Amino acid sequence: VTEQQQAPSTDQVEPPVLEAARRLPFGALEILVVLLVVLLLAQRWVTAAFDGHPALQSFATIFIAICVQALPFLVLGVVLSAAIGAFVPPAFWAKAVPDNAALAVPVAACAGVVLPGCECASVPVAGGLVARGVKPAAALAFLLSAPAINPVVLVATSVAFPGRPSMVLARFLASLATAVVVGWIWARFGRGSWMRPPRRPPTEGLTPYEAFRTTMAHDFLQSGGFLVIGGLTAAALNVVVPRTWLSDVAGHPFWSVLFLAGLAVVLAICSEADAFVAASLTTFTPTAQLAFMVVGPTVDLKLVAMQAGTFGRTFASRFAPLTFVVAVLSASLVGWWLL
Amino acid sequence: VRRDVQAVLLVLVGGAVLRLSLSGSYTNYVKQSMGIWLDLAGAALVALGAWTAVRAFREHRAAAAEGETAETAEPAADDDGHGHGLTRAAWLLLLPVVAIFVVAPPALGAFSANRTPVVVPQPPPQALPPLVGDPVQIGVVDYAMRAVWDNGTSLRGRDVEMVGFVTHGPNGAWYLTKLQISCCAADAQPYKVKVLGDFGPYSDNAWVVVRGHWVPGGGTQRDDAIPWVQATSVRAVAQPANPYE
Repeated sequence: VTEQQQAPSTDQVEPPVLEAARRLPFGALEILVVLLVVLLLAQRWVTAAFDGHPALQSFATIFIAICVQALPFLVLGVVLSAAIGAFVPPAFWAKAVPDNAALAVPVAACAGVVLPGCECASVPVAGGLVARGVKPAAALAFLLSAPAINPVVLVATSVAFPGRPSMVLARFLASLATAVVVGWIWARFGRGSWMRPPRRPPTEGLTPYEAFRTTMAHDFLQSGGFLVIGGLTAAALNVVVPRTWLSDVAGHPFWSVLFLAGLAVVLAICSEADAFVAASLTTFTPTAQLAFMVVGPTVDLKLVAMQAGTFGRTFASRFAPLTFVVAVLSASLVGWWLL
Repeated sequence: VRRDVQAVLLVLVGGAVLRLSLSGSYTNYVKQSMGIWLDLAGAALVALGAWTAVRAFREHRAAAAEGETAETAEPAADDDGHGHGLTRAAWLLLLPVVAIFVVAPPALGAFSANRTPVVVPQPPPQALPPLVGDPVQIGVVDYAMRAVWDNGTSLRGRDVEMVGFVTHGPNGAWYLTKLQISCCAADAQPYKVKVLGDFGPYSDNAWVVVRGHWVPGGGTQRDDAIPWVQATSVRAVAQPANPYE
């Protein structure tokens, strides 16, 4: 390590670390190590700074909770997405997904049934599909439907709402409709330039295993970083916004729907558990509870942050509001019909 | 982000997750049933980090041996291409690592319980089976549901024992409190039982076992009711392994 910090060498043979060292005077690895040592030494002060500040402690607890809860699903997602890239030939997708966007979107949305994860898993998988040449509109329909209509989520919903199978059906229909409608709108009006192609490390010439490793490491670090941004925001809002004024709007048919939809965005709860939270919001109308469960898996703070990380900010700033509006409308219509 | 740094980040994140799951302190943040998934995810990340480190080390050595230039030795594969900026987000993964290893915040307690309104959802009838034991070991959530929605019928005449932490209300009242989580601490929902009897004072967040019996009061058949318990003894205990219900 010491030799890397010496003055730039004129030697032709230059290890990569040295090359980085010339640019920065010291490498990223050294910064990392110094940072960690400083933090370990400062642990007492850091802990003391949090002690006696319950708001700050709650913030830290909720932040860790969101990250840790999402992590196994994120790992599952990047394993799948890396496997798609490394082991499934591109020709497969050309055959599996119809050419016609009007048809490809509902097919992809229904395929969401098979991914038993929450929204954190579906972002990297959708990124992997786009990188493999699947039409963006179809990949996006899959992205929206997978966390909402897979069996695990539907079973959780039926457990949370015992004796009310109409809630499970309503959730399934409203979520599927949201995914298909958003996919169609994107296919018809979306511009290719809005979506930055997912940045993938080049894997040509690598063995499948090495391609798998490279993609998985890259996707995890990329999505994970944005998951942290979302987790920070959601934890901060969770602590800052008191939920005591929840009851004020509960009875109102219009505001209650909008309010719970907004709450779903802010709380960023995993789609496998959001039904239990929705069920506990008993003062709200069933349609508002449905809106909470339809919006949550498709638009929430950590999800939007991860979408921005995978497809770019231009994309997320258009896609998230569109999805929110469609999800609220879809939940309202299905709720009015079934609940 | 360079490959060697990638390896370190992966091992750190995986290590932090494994530390939580192996030490059991993950129950401060997520449900107990997540343990096995955290083990798997943490192990997968550590393995991926180790694999990446081995690759980085081998290529480094091969490059040095063959006298290749930096550019060919380190394929742009894992590089963020200097200043694209996006993969710099990977550095943010250090925040949860630091929070887990250095800050290690406790489970949510009185602060959260007082900021979220109490909601006792109506349980389906089959969720209230007959109570067994003497005293009955019962959860705060179960007690609250029986007291509020069953009008205390199944609690009548039973000696109960409940574990929870202390929160305070107006006029010197204190509550035995438990937070229920559906998924993780972000959705914690408080349940409270008002403790009658001359015990205490206890400070906020102190964990106690309350033994006593149900008495009417606090309201029934509405989900914002806070039922009562007449305590016959209260003693301090350590925080249970799973602080949530």
